[in-house]
Amino acid sequence: MASDNNKKSSSENGKTETKNHRRTYGIQTPGTKGIAGTKRYAMVVDLRKCIGCMSCVVACKSEFGVPLGVWRTWVKVSDKGTYPNTKRMFMPRLCNHCDYPVCVRNCPTQATFKHKDGFVLQRYNRCIGCRTCIVACPYNARHILPAKRSDKNLPYEVVDKCTFCFHRVKKGLVPACVQACVGGARIFGDLNDPKSEIARIVAGETVTVLKPELGTQPSVFYIGADWEMMDETHSYNNRTVQLKQEFNDFKRNHVVDGYGDIVEGESTMRQVGKNMGDFLNSIPHKASEVVKAFKKLLFE
Amino acid sequence: MGYALTTMAESSVVIANAFHHVAWGTPISVYFWLVGASAGSFVISSFGWVFGIKRYKPLAMTASLQAIVLLLIVPILLIWDLGKPVRFIYLMLPGYWHSTGPMAWGSLLIFSYPISMIVYVWFVMKNDLFWAKTTGIIAIVLAISTHWYTGVVMELNPGRFINHTALAPLLFLTGAFISGIGLLILILWVQNMIVAVKKRIDWSLMEEMAQYMMYGIVFDCFLLFLEFMQTFYGNQHELEGHETVLMGIFRFPYLWLELVIGLIIPFFILVSPLKRNKYGIILASFLVAIGVYGMRVWWVMGGQYMQTFF
Repeated sequence: MASDNNKKSSSENGKTETKNHRRTYGIQTPGTKGIAGTKRYAMVVDLRKCIGCMSCVVACKSEFGVPLGVWRTWVKVSDKGTYPNTKRMFMPRLCNHCDYPVCVRNCPTQATFKHKDGFVLQRYNRCIGCRTCIVACPYNARHILPAKRSDKNLPYEVVDKCTFCFHRVKKGLVPACVQACVGGARIFGDLNDPKSEIARIVAGETVTVLKPELGTQPSVFYIGADWEMMDETHSYNNRTVQLKQEFNDFKRNHVVDGYGDIVEGESTMRQVGKNMGDFLNSIPHKASEVVKAFKKLLFE
Repeated sequence: MGYALTTMAESSVVIANAFHHVAWGTPISVYFWLVGASAGSFVISSFGWVFGIKRYKPLAMTASLQAIVLLLIVPILLIWDLGKPVRFIYLMLPGYWHSTGPMAWGSLLIFSYPISMIVYVWFVMKNDLFWAKTTGIIAIVLAISTHWYTGVVMELNPGRFINHTALAPLLFLTGAFISGIGLLILILWVQNMIVAVKKRIDWSLMEEMAQYMMYGIVFDCFLLFLEFMQTFYGNQHELEGHETVLMGIFRFPYLWLELVIGLIIPFFILVSPLKRNKYGIILASFLVAIGVYGMRVWWVMGGQYMQTFF
C-alpha cells in the first residue's frame, strides 16, 4: 500500500520539487502534517504485533552497514509483573523525523535538514562532528560514526541517523525495517494521503508518540505502548542489575569522541580527569590524520 | 483478585536497551570554565580604562593578559573535540553558517572576542585613553556575550531538563565573574611575589575585589536556589534529574565542589574577620575558582546523563 502511494507521489511530484524548497532549516521548520498538496511520511509501530525478533534491527544494520556499538534502530525490551503473571514488552525505536526537529535548528553548519516530504536527513560532507544535534535530540536517535571503519571510504567521525530509508522510499519501496518486520508491526506511508494505510490507522486508532510535551511533533506513532517504557526517568530507574553492569562496561570499554561517560558507583572527578587524559591522548592521533589529509590534498 | 491487582501495580523493568554516550564531556566543561574565568578577569580589567575607576588601572594589563591566555587554550579544546577538526572552518563560511544554530553564534564570538581584547591591550599599552575605552567597551560586550553563549548552547535543548532554564546564562555569567576574580587574585598574589616592590599591586585592591566576589557568591547562591525551586516544583524529569543525577552520580561536583567548597566556605571566609587576612582571601579565591568548575561538570555532563539510557 505504502509503496503504491510512493510510486504515485514520486511521479506526480516532478514539478512541485522544483517549486518547493527541498531542504528546510530554521528555528521552526515548516510542519507539513495535514497540509494539502504536501507529503508527510510517517511510521506507525503497532506494539501488539511486535514479537521482539529484532529483524528490523538486523535489516537496518545490513542495509546501511551500521557499525558495532551504534544503532539507527533498536528495540527496547521490558518485563512487567511478577511470576506467574508476567508480560514482556517491546518498543522499537528509531529517529522520529519530527515536524519541528530540534536537531535541525541547532546544527551550526546546515548539515542536518528537513526534506520537504518530512524526512530529517544528514549530510556527511557538511558535518563537523560537533555533536550538537546529538545533545539536542530528545530521542537518542543520533550517533557518531566510529573512527575505524572496515571500509575506509565510508564516512567516519561524523553524525549519522535513521533516514526512514529515503533512498528506498524515493524508488517506491518501504524502509528496510518495515520490509523485514515479520509481524507487520511497522507500517509506513504518507500521512497526508487520506487513502494510505497509515493515515487510516492514525485517524482511527489510539496512537501515542514519545515525549509529546516537547512539542517536536514526532512522526513515529505507537499503538499499545506502555507508559513506563515511554518514560525516560522510569526507564533509567528501573533497570535490571545485569543491564546496569552492562551499561557501565559499555562506558568503560568504549573510547569515543565526547569523553563524557561517567561510570556509576565510581569516583566522578577521577573519571572526569581520566576523560580529559583520553581526550589529550587523542590529539596526536587526530593531528596525524589532519596531516595525512593535507598531504593527500597537496601532493596527490 | 487482590493478588492480581498487586501484580499489575508492579513497575516494569527494562531488560534490554541500546546504550548511548554523553556527547559533550570533559573538554567542553573545561572550555566553559576557561571562557568564564577569561570573561570574569576581563571585566575587572575594564574597571580602570572603561569605567574610569583609576585605582584599577595598574592591574588592567595582568587581567587582560590572563583573559587572553585563558582564551588561547580554548581552540585546542574545541577544535580537537570535533570529529572532523579541519572542518572547524565551516563554522565561519557563509555557505555553511546556520543562523539559528547557537554554536554558529558562539564560533563568531570566540573568534572576535580575543581579537578585540588584543586590540584593547594594545591601546592600553600605548596609554591611549579614548581608544582603550572604545575598544574596551566592544571587548566587554563580546566577553559577556561569549560567556552568555555557553549558557545558551546548553539551554536551547528542550529535551535536557536540567539545562533547559532561562537562568542558565545568568548562572554562567555569575560563575564567570567570581571565578575570574578568584583566579585573578591568585595570579596577582604570585605576580606580587615576583615583581619589584613599587610595581606590586596594593593588597587593599585585592580585599575590594574579594568583596565583589562575595557579592557574586550571594547572587550565585540566589540563582541556584531559584534553580533548585524549579526542579523541586517542576516536572518529574526535573525532580528525578536532581535526585538521581545531581545528588547521585554528580553529588561531588554539585553538592561538595560547587556548593560547599566553592560557595559556602568562601562566603563564610569573606564575611568573617578573615576577609582582612591575606591568606584568607587567597584561600577563598582558590576555593571559588575550583568550585565553579564543579558547576561546569554537572551542568554539561549531568544534563545529558539520564537520557543516555532512554
